[in-house]
Amino acid sequence: MDRRQFLSNAGAAVLGAGLVSKAGAASLPEAPILTDPATQPPLHPMDGRPYNPVVTLNGWTLPWRMKDGVKEFHLVAEPVVRELAPGMKAHLWGYNGSSPGPTIECVEGDRVRIFVTNRLPEHTSIHWHGVLLPNGMDGVGGLTQPQIKPGKTFVYEFEMTKSGTFMYHPHADEMVQMAMGMMGMLIVHPRDPEFMRVDRDFVFLLNAFDIEPGAATPKINTMLDFNLWCWNSRVFPAIDPLVVRQHDRVRVRAGNLTMTNHPLHVHGVDFEVTCTDGGWVKESARWPEVTTDVAVGQMRAIEFDARLAGDWAFHCHKSHHTMNAMGHDVPTMIGVDHRGVVEKIQRLTPDYMVMGERGMADMGEMEMPIPDNTLPMMTGWGQYGPIEMGGMFTVVKVREDQKPGDYSDPGWYPHPQGTVSWEWTGEPMAAERREGPAADAQTLKAVKPAGHHH
Amino acid sequence: MKYPTDHLRTRLACGTRLPAALLGLGLLGGCASFSPDGGLDKVSAITRERMAVAPAPLRTDQDAARVREEVKRLLAGPLDAESAVKIAVLNNRGLQADLAGLGIAEADVVQAGRLRNPTFTFARTSGGGEREYERAFLFDLMGLLTLSTRSDIEGRRFEVIQMRVANATLDLAQNTRQAFFSAVAAQEAAKYQEEAWIAAQAGAELARRMADVGNFSRLRQQREQLFHAESTAELARIRQHAARERERLTRLLGLSGKDRHFTLPERLPDLPAAPLSEKDLVQQAMDSRLDLSMARTEIEGLAKSLGLTRATRFVNVLEASYLNNDATGEPQKRGYEIEVSLPLFDWGQARAAKAEALYTQAMHRVAEMAVNAESEVRDAYGAYRTAHDLARHYQDEIVPLRKRIAEENLLRYNGMLIGVWDLLADARQQVAGVNAAIQARKDFWLAESNLQMALNGSGAASVGMITMSAPASAEAGGGH
Repeated sequence: MDRRQFLSNAGAAVLGAGLVSKAGAASLPEAPILTDPATQPPLHPMDGRPYNPVVTLNGWTLPWRMKDGVKEFHLVAEPVVRELAPGMKAHLWGYNGSSPGPTIECVEGDRVRIFVTNRLPEHTSIHWHGVLLPNGMDGVGGLTQPQIKPGKTFVYEFEMTKSGTFMYHPHADEMVQMAMGMMGMLIVHPRDPEFMRVDRDFVFLLNAFDIEPGAATPKINTMLDFNLWCWNSRVFPAIDPLVVRQHDRVRVRAGNLTMTNHPLHVHGVDFEVTCTDGGWVKESARWPEVTTDVAVGQMRAIEFDARLAGDWAFHCHKSHHTMNAMGHDVPTMIGVDHRGVVEKIQRLTPDYMVMGERGMADMGEMEMPIPDNTLPMMTGWGQYGPIEMGGMFTVVKVREDQKPGDYSDPGWYPHPQGTVSWEWTGEPMAAERREGPAADAQTLKAVKPAGHHH
Repeated sequence: MKYPTDHLRTRLACGTRLPAALLGLGLLGGCASFSPDGGLDKVSAITRERMAVAPAPLRTDQDAARVREEVKRLLAGPLDAESAVKIAVLNNRGLQADLAGLGIAEADVVQAGRLRNPTFTFARTSGGGEREYERAFLFDLMGLLTLSTRSDIEGRRFEVIQMRVANATLDLAQNTRQAFFSAVAAQEAAKYQEEAWIAAQAGAELARRMADVGNFSRLRQQREQLFHAESTAELARIRQHAARERERLTRLLGLSGKDRHFTLPERLPDLPAAPLSEKDLVQQAMDSRLDLSMARTEIEGLAKSLGLTRATRFVNVLEASYLNNDATGEPQKRGYEIEVSLPLFDWGQARAAKAEALYTQAMHRVAEMAVNAESEVRDAYGAYRTAHDLARHYQDEIVPLRKRIAEENLLRYNGMLIGVWDLLADARQQVAGVNAAIQARKDFWLAESNLQMALNGSGAASVGMITMSAPASAEAGGGH
C-alpha cells in the first residue's frame, strides 16, 4: 500500500519534525501526512495483536509504532485543504493533512499512547468519543485537562478495554473546530480476529459544512442550514463506491458528527445494526432493516451479506442531504407560465434562462456555468443518464468477479439481458404533459378554525 | 430779420476771429464714427478665441435665412455639445438683443466723440424807449480741448461693452452646454428607468402567475405588484424631469415649432482620456478671463480720467463766446468773450480727491477680483477634478463591479442557489448603479463647463463688474 505517501508531502513532514524537536520530545513517533482524498487500501497490522483492518472511505489509517509494548500514534491538528469533489476545495481544519483525520485502529487490550501536536492558531484538545478511559484522558479542555496551546504536544495514554466503533474530535472550542472538520474514526478491533469477522469493513463519518457558493471556508456559526452533506468530507459524485465481492459479508460503520440525524438507506440488501455506541449488539436483539437512523453523536455499524450483484444506491434518506449547495429560499417555479416574461427579464439579464418551470431535473442535465469552487446541486452520470444526486450518496458495487481484497472500481454494472426496466412500446397513453391544477378561489382561501358552532 | 446762424456760419467759414483751436473743429469732430462691423468683430474675436464660437447679428432677411439654413443643417443629426452651442449663439434671441445693445452703445460712443453743438443765444430787451439786442454764440471750448481724451475714454468704455456682450455670449454658450449635458443625462436616466420598470413589470406579471398556480402567497404577489406600481410612478417622474431638461435646452437653443423635435445623443460623451492639469490654469485664467480684461480696460480709463480731472480742476467752466451787441441807436458792437470762473472757493480739490479715491477704489476692486478669480479657478478645478475622478471611479470601478455582481448572481441563479426574484432585485440595483454613473458623468461635464467659464468668462459665480463712476464722464470739462 501507499501508506507512506506522506513522503510526497515532505515539506510538511519536515516542518512537523522541527516542531516535534522543539517540543522537547526527541522520541516522538513520526506524524505521517496524507492529502490525497482517494480511499486508501486497508492497513494490515505489521506488529502487535492481529486484526482485520477496516477501509476508510476516502480516507486512510494512521500508521503507528510499537514502543515498550505500547502503540504510539501521532496526530497533528492543522489547517488542511480538502477536495470535497473535483471542482471544489474547502479550507478546513483536520489532522495529518486531511479532514477527517486518519482512522486510528487498535485492538481490545492494547495500551495506546497518542501524541497530539497542535498546529492550529488556537488551543485544542481531543476527546475519545465512546471510549472508557481514566477521566484525565477524556480530553475535555478545562474540565479534565488544560487545553493544548498552539505549538504544544500533549500525550494521551490509556488502555482499550472494549472493542467497537468510536470517534475522536476536539473538546475545546468544539463548535468551531468540528464545524471546521476536525474529527476522525477510532476502531477498536476485538481481541479475537474471528469474532464477528467480516470480509469488508468500511468506516466513515457523517459530516456537514456550510460553505457559501464561490467561497472555500465553512461558515462556522451555521446551526442547521448546511449546504454540503458529506461522508468523510466528500460529496457525491466524489464519494468512492463501496466495492464488494458478491456474497461477501460486509460491515459499514458510520459516526454522525453533524447537527442532525441521518437515516442511512442501502438498496439491494437488508441489514442489521450490529454495533452501536455502546458496543456489539447481541444477535437476538438485532432488527432487520433497510434504513437505519444515525442520530447526532452516534455510531452505528450495519452488516449484510451482499447476495445480489449490481450497483446499489447507498444514501441518507433526507433528500436535501443528497443535494449539493442549493438555495433554500428559491421559490417553486413549477407550473408557472413564463411566456412573455422571459424576454423582459432578459433585457436586463441577457443570459437569463427559465429554470424550474418543469421541476429541477434540468439541473442534473444542463451544464450551466455556476460560481467558482461550487458544485452543482445535483450531478453525476451513470450508464443510463444523469443520477441527479449530490451530498450523502454513493453506490455499493457488488460484483461476482471482484477479487478478495480488491477495492478498485469495477465500473458500471453490466446488467444481464432483460433485467433492466424497459420502455413500454405498445399502445401509448396520451403523451401530453398535464398541466397542474390552477388555484381557484377556494384553493387559497384560508380556512379558519371552526368557532363555537355546535 | 437775419437768421443769426447764417451769419455765424459765414463768420466761422471765414475763420479769422476765432481761436486757432476752433479751427481744428472740423477735423476733430470727425474722429469718432461708426465702425463697419458695429463693434462685433472684437466680440467675435474674444469668443472665438475662448470657446470657438462667434455671434452673428440678425439684421436683414438674408441674415435670418442664412441662420435658418445653418440651424437646419446642425439639427439634421443628433446634437452634440458643440453644435448645441453653435445653434444657441446663432439663434438665441436674447443674445441677439444683447448684440443690438452693442449698436446702441456704439452710437453713444460716436456721440461722445463729437463736439457739443455750438449754442447761439439771442436776447432782445426793451425799456425806456431803448431796445437792446444781445446775440451770443457759445462754443464748448473745453469740450474741444478734451475731445481726444474723451474719445479715448469712450473707446475704452465701448471696449468694455464689447467684452460684456462677449461675456453674454460665453454665458449663453455655457448655459447651453450645461443644459445639453443635463438633458442628455436625464434622457439616458429615463431610458434605464424604463428598463427597470420593464423588469418590475415582468416581476409583477410572474408573481401573478406564481400566485395563480399556488406557488406564491397573495402577500408576496402584492409586494411585487407594489414594486411595479411604485416603479411606474418613478418612471413618470423621471420622464417629466427629462422633458423639463429638454425644454430648458430648447429655450436656450431658441427653437420652436417643428425644430423642437431635435435628436439628442443616446449617451453623454466619454470622459477625456486624461483630466486637465491644474498647472498653468491660474495663469491662463489671469490672461483670458473676461471680467479681468474688462476691469483692466476700465481702470485704464479711470487713470486717464483721473489725469484729466487733475489737469482741469481749476477750470470749472471755460467758455468762449462770440458777441454781437446791438443797441438801438448805437453802432453795432462785436467781439468775443471768455469766461473763466475763478477758483476762489472751489479749487477743485474735492473733485480731484474723489477721482483719486475712485481710482484707488477701482484698483482694490480689480485686485480683489484677481484674488477671487484665482481662488475661483482653483475652486472650479477642484470641483472639476473631483467630478472627473468620481465619474471615472463609477465608470472603472462601480459599474464593472455591478456587472460582475450581476454575472455572479446569474451563476448563482444557474446553480439554483438563488431564484429569479433575487436576479430581478439585483438587476434593479444594477440600473441604480448605472444611473449613478450617468449622474456622475453629467456632473463631470457640468464641472468641466464651469471650469471653462472660470478660466475664460467671468467665473462660474459671475463676479460682478466694477462700477464706473462720474469722474470718467465725458462731461468732465463741460459741466453747465
